[in-house]
Amino acid sequence: MKRDLAKKIWIYTVLIVVVGLVALYSASYENVRVPQKIFYDQLLCALVGFVIMYFLGKVDYRKFYDVAYGFYALNILLLIFVLLGGRHALGARRWIEIAGFSFQPSELTKLSLILILGAYFSDRRPKLPYGFFSHTQMIFWDLLIPLTVTVVPMLLIFKQPDLGTSLLLFGIFLVMLFATALEYRYIFGLLGVCLAAVPFAWNILKPYQKDRLLVFLNPNIDPLGAGYTIIQSKIAIGSGQVFGKGWLSGTQNQLNFLPERHTDFIFSVIGEEWGIVGTICLVTLYFLLIYTSLNIANQVKDKFGMFVTVGIVAILTLQVVINVGMVMGLFPIVGLTLPFVSYGRSSFLIFIIMMGFLLNLSKRRTIF
Amino acid sequence: MRIKVIRIIIIGLFVLIAADLVYVQVIRGQYFYHLSTNNRIRIVPLEGWRGRIMDRHGKVLADRRVAYNVMVAPQDLHDRQELFQFLAKVLGVDQKTIETRYAQKKYALFAPVVVAEDIDRDKAIILEESKYLYPSLILQEGFKRSYPLGKNSAHVLGYVGKINRVRKERSKEYGYSPQSIIGYSGVEEYYDAYLKGGEGGIQIEVNSRGQQVRLLSLKEPTTGQDISLTIDSDIQAIALEVLEGKTGVIVVMDMDNGEVLGLTSAPTYDPNIFIDAEKQKMLSRIFNNSSAPLLNRAIKGLYPPGSVFKVLIAIGALDSGKVTPHTTYNCKGYYELGGNKFRCAHTHGPENLIESLTHSCNVYYYRVGLILGADMIHQYARQFGLGSLTYIDLPYEDSGYVPSRRQRSIRRKQRWYAGDTLNFSIGQGGLLVTPLQLVRMMSTVANNGNEVQPHVIKAIGGVAVEQYNFKRNIKIDREILETVQKGMRGAVTNFSGTAHVLDLDDLYVAGKTGTAQTSGKKLNHAWFVGYAKGEEKNIAFCVFLEHGDSSHNACLVARELLLGMQAKELL
Repeated sequence: MKRDLAKKIWIYTVLIVVVGLVALYSASYENVRVPQKIFYDQLLCALVGFVIMYFLGKVDYRKFYDVAYGFYALNILLLIFVLLGGRHALGARRWIEIAGFSFQPSELTKLSLILILGAYFSDRRPKLPYGFFSHTQMIFWDLLIPLTVTVVPMLLIFKQPDLGTSLLLFGIFLVMLFATALEYRYIFGLLGVCLAAVPFAWNILKPYQKDRLLVFLNPNIDPLGAGYTIIQSKIAIGSGQVFGKGWLSGTQNQLNFLPERHTDFIFSVIGEEWGIVGTICLVTLYFLLIYTSLNIANQVKDKFGMFVTVGIVAILTLQVVINVGMVMGLFPIVGLTLPFVSYGRSSFLIFIIMMGFLLNLSKRRTIF
Repeated sequence: MRIKVIRIIIIGLFVLIAADLVYVQVIRGQYFYHLSTNNRIRIVPLEGWRGRIMDRHGKVLADRRVAYNVMVAPQDLHDRQELFQFLAKVLGVDQKTIETRYAQKKYALFAPVVVAEDIDRDKAIILEESKYLYPSLILQEGFKRSYPLGKNSAHVLGYVGKINRVRKERSKEYGYSPQSIIGYSGVEEYYDAYLKGGEGGIQIEVNSRGQQVRLLSLKEPTTGQDISLTIDSDIQAIALEVLEGKTGVIVVMDMDNGEVLGLTSAPTYDPNIFIDAEKQKMLSRIFNNSSAPLLNRAIKGLYPPGSVFKVLIAIGALDSGKVTPHTTYNCKGYYELGGNKFRCAHTHGPENLIESLTHSCNVYYYRVGLILGADMIHQYARQFGLGSLTYIDLPYEDSGYVPSRRQRSIRRKQRWYAGDTLNFSIGQGGLLVTPLQLVRMMSTVANNGNEVQPHVIKAIGGVAVEQYNFKRNIKIDREILETVQKGMRGAVTNFSGTAHVLDLDDLYVAGKTGTAQTSGKKLNHAWFVGYAKGEEKNIAFCVFLEHGDSSHNACLVARELLLGMQAKELL
């Protein structure tokens, strides 16, 4: 049974990665804007990734529990370092270079946050709500502390600026918090407070972020500017119709109408060239992967394992849903990648590592 | 378990995504497919070349030439300052001008902006050679109309311009696009369907920057047909010269077949100013000019014919048998009717019909007119084509107006008095004609009753146009017309004739003068309508001077015209 889960995760992951590579090949085919080299880059990444995934499956995952806090601290330091002296690209400081490799600490944060929240939540023992300050204590220990743990990297990432990832972290936190035994009223109370804060948050957004949100509401206010991407992306996906225009034959893709098509908008390329057959297949693969992962969360009796699994499920679901929703105009463009498919080493490897964790967890027996 | 809730939420989200995929790709797939096609396919219209217009000797009146337009592609414009500086230097204009032009016309990244139109060939070559330095510089070749003879035949030719809304509506089904060049007035408008080149176009696939990726299909534009006119540019040149500084019309028509040899209306304009972008300022001066240079007075100008009308009265009176050539009336300088004196130019004494035409005696025609009656005069005027279009192949012709008793009683609820008949008899009193109508009338008289069809077209695309070469008999006895011809010849040959200045050697000239009174304090209109039988051609012609005072002035102009034509051996 558990071997079975591991096998499924391997199969789904590899299939998704292959679909991604096929799409990436097309997105970079004979093109000046998107060089073909990124395809080979991603291919190499995938091969290395699978090796990493294999070995992570062998390691005792409880070791990650031990390093969770240290890893988090290191990550915070890296984020601060990025803000101080990171590499500029596309108007944001997101990359740092170590030993010739550039990577995004913000991607790493997804992992470290899941780990530290998992570690923290699994440490908490349910307190009986008796005693004078018990409620206050509960809110403090079960809500405010993990919230602070989340908000610190959120703010640092928001400063880069990277609104998408920042909000994603909050999403992970919410889902993982939901998986704890905390009463619903506190969770929904927190959500209520957040909603009330939205109008105030509007003013701290950068102009281009405001544009994107406004354009999301009506892409036609600026069809050649901020709305261009979303309009072209919708046209690309829709024009694929049922069977698509065929591999390497998507006009929106090959004629450069789709900006950022190798990263955030890779799903549009798939939609255009493979039609609904391709998109439903890919979405189904994601669904199966997530569903299988959720089964692991059900089976793992160890709380740390359960929280980490929930966290991984949360981030996978959120990124897939938001990315697909965003290229179809259901969500504002927030710059989240499509896991395993979008080009980007940091993002790709982080998700591969997460899958390694899942493999590992799927094989563990009950500890207690 | 809360995991279960999470599971349900996840299933819900994926179902939503799948549903939206179905909606976007299947239900609205067609629509988006259409949009993606529009996205990448552009149709670039290619202008067809307009046919040329030649005169009867093959001299080009309206030509076409290659014009070079300078365009700047905003998407490739990285060296803005340098390029504009360079352009300013080459084109010899201020850099500011180019920059403002660019800023005004730019509307999209992918659409090139025209910064200079129709530049010199030399400058175009300089720009072409330095194109590789400036990737955003585009040199576009187009066609431009030109009228090498300038003002010569301007009213016959018309001019060309961008199609306007009215014409677009009217000719939508004939393959005109909003960018089409179309002819306005004159032959350019009347024969536009032949002159117009077939518009072609290329269908190209473009990428997101509007750059051409590949050619999908090409429809070659076709060249319009060349047109030959019956107009003789030499006659036109003479006419233009003799009308210099005057307001008036000269029409010269071959009376044997209706070919219009010359049709000049003064003041005139240079049609080139409609083409040249830099002369646009002169346009408003033309439009606002009080003497209306754009008006083709030969077919659109309405004037009372004055004494020229007496030719018709004489014919009508003879035809109806009311008078004979020998009927004689005594002219004592005026005719008295109802206590009013209707004046004559001189005191002619006893005159018969031929003498009355020669001397243009008003009194004679007052009396004949009264005998004939207004209804009969109206009928004969219509019989000779007054009050109806000549159907010359030029647009915007006016039919003129012949008054009648019935019209007056219906329209104005007024009675017709004998005094009105008197005015009518000498070509006044509401009678309005175009110079061309009188020329045709004169040719009919000179042709012994055979009416020709005036036309300016000779050949289209090398094929002669025959449809206007017909004659219609007006059914008036030959003797009657010959009597009238004698009278008109006498006006030229007699020393006392009104048009004696036109008595030229080696040329048979006959005709009738006219001095038409005008309302207000303005000078009278001066007419001379006649015909000449030369060795080369028999022509009917008309010289009309708007407010030219005495008809003698018209005769002097006619003399210059005929002498000029004789000198060039055109007669």
